[in-house]
Amino acid sequence: MIPSTLRFWLIAAVVCYFVIILYLLKNRALNLKYTLLWLLAGVVMGVLVVFPEMLMRIIRVFGIQSNMNGLFLIIIGFMLMILMALTSIASRQNMKIRALVQEIGILDKRIRELEDGQGGSADRKASGQEKVSDMDGASGAAPKETGGR
Amino acid sequence: MKGETEAKVLIIIPAYNESANIEKVARHLKNCAPQYDYLIINDGSTDDTLRICEREHFRYLDLPINLGIGGAVQAGYVYAHKNDYDIAVQMDGDGQHDIAYLSDMLQPILSGKADVVIGSRFLKKEGFQSSQSRRIGIGILSLLIRLTTGHRVMDVTSGYRAVNRKFIDIYAKDYPTDYPEPEAIVTAFMHRGRVLEVPVKMKAREGGTSSITLRKSVYYMIKVTLAILVCRLSYGFRRVKR
Repeated sequence: MIPSTLRFWLIAAVVCYFVIILYLLKNRALNLKYTLLWLLAGVVMGVLVVFPEMLMRIIRVFGIQSNMNGLFLIIIGFMLMILMALTSIASRQNMKIRALVQEIGILDKRIRELEDGQGGSADRKASGQEKVSDMDGASGAAPKETGGR
Repeated sequence: MKGETEAKVLIIIPAYNESANIEKVARHLKNCAPQYDYLIINDGSTDDTLRICEREHFRYLDLPINLGIGGAVQAGYVYAHKNDYDIAVQMDGDGQHDIAYLSDMLQPILSGKADVVIGSRFLKKEGFQSSQSRRIGIGILSLLIRLTTGHRVMDVTSGYRAVNRKFIDIYAKDYPTDYPEPEAIVTAFMHRGRVLEVPVKMKAREGGTSSITLRKSVYYMIKVTLAILVCRLSYGFRRVKR
């Protein structure tokens, strides 16, 4: 059994945890999409602290001797999941930044050509007609770059 | 199929801190292959690469952030895709790759025999052959690609390549990040691409330093090995046919 003093403080901690998350959500400092896992972890922690019998049962299933060790294990499991989610978010953002940087490079070239008033045709042995198709190609293809979602 | 004169060809030259070589390489291209467009990709260089491109009025893209070779080359493919090129050629900005072999590399694509052509220094074993340790590493990766895809490619790290329109589109959407060359071959096979090696002679680099130091080579082998396996897995069990 978890001592009652410890239980009190754990419940207080979980309440604090929820207050902080809701505060950040309210101020739009957190994206709800990325917060779902945090909220789920909070719910699980809350349930386990309020109903320790459930914790005992789960712990016995896994053959863990100490209650506190079981609690820590569950928390560590959630932390690993959240870290993995963060890595995947970082990777996806990396890909988006890459596409943006490439786009900036291409736009930068177009601006330079427009400023020169040559439209890139001077060094491309081309007529004005090719310049028009060149630009159509660029603007027509732009909306395709929308990433994974 | 279009003839050599009609096809729109873009030569992509990724350049990161290549101020020692880039002027020579671009000049040489302009003189020896004026019928083709070239595009230097300045990959956030910290040296004078950008200033040289500006001063000499080269055709270049200026990436504001260093993306690494994969991101830089892909920027070229995105550009080729948007501007409707038929063939894209990538070659290093350090002068290792000889423009004289360009028509050899374009020929299989123009005649519709191949989708991806790789300039290989090991087919005829002429020119600069790289150090022995690197050749062993390349051999291991080559074997790995053979085991995972069933196709034999000798010079898997060669950055001298030509691809047709189909693979311009594919690489514009999906190109590996760092040390991308071997992985891009697997991507090509997974899209049922016909990959062909053409013998070329390479020179030892003329100036600057290679991006792969001894310290990085261990990381290189681990990363590329994993990347090949992951790339193969991510395409599932789709059969690749010739």
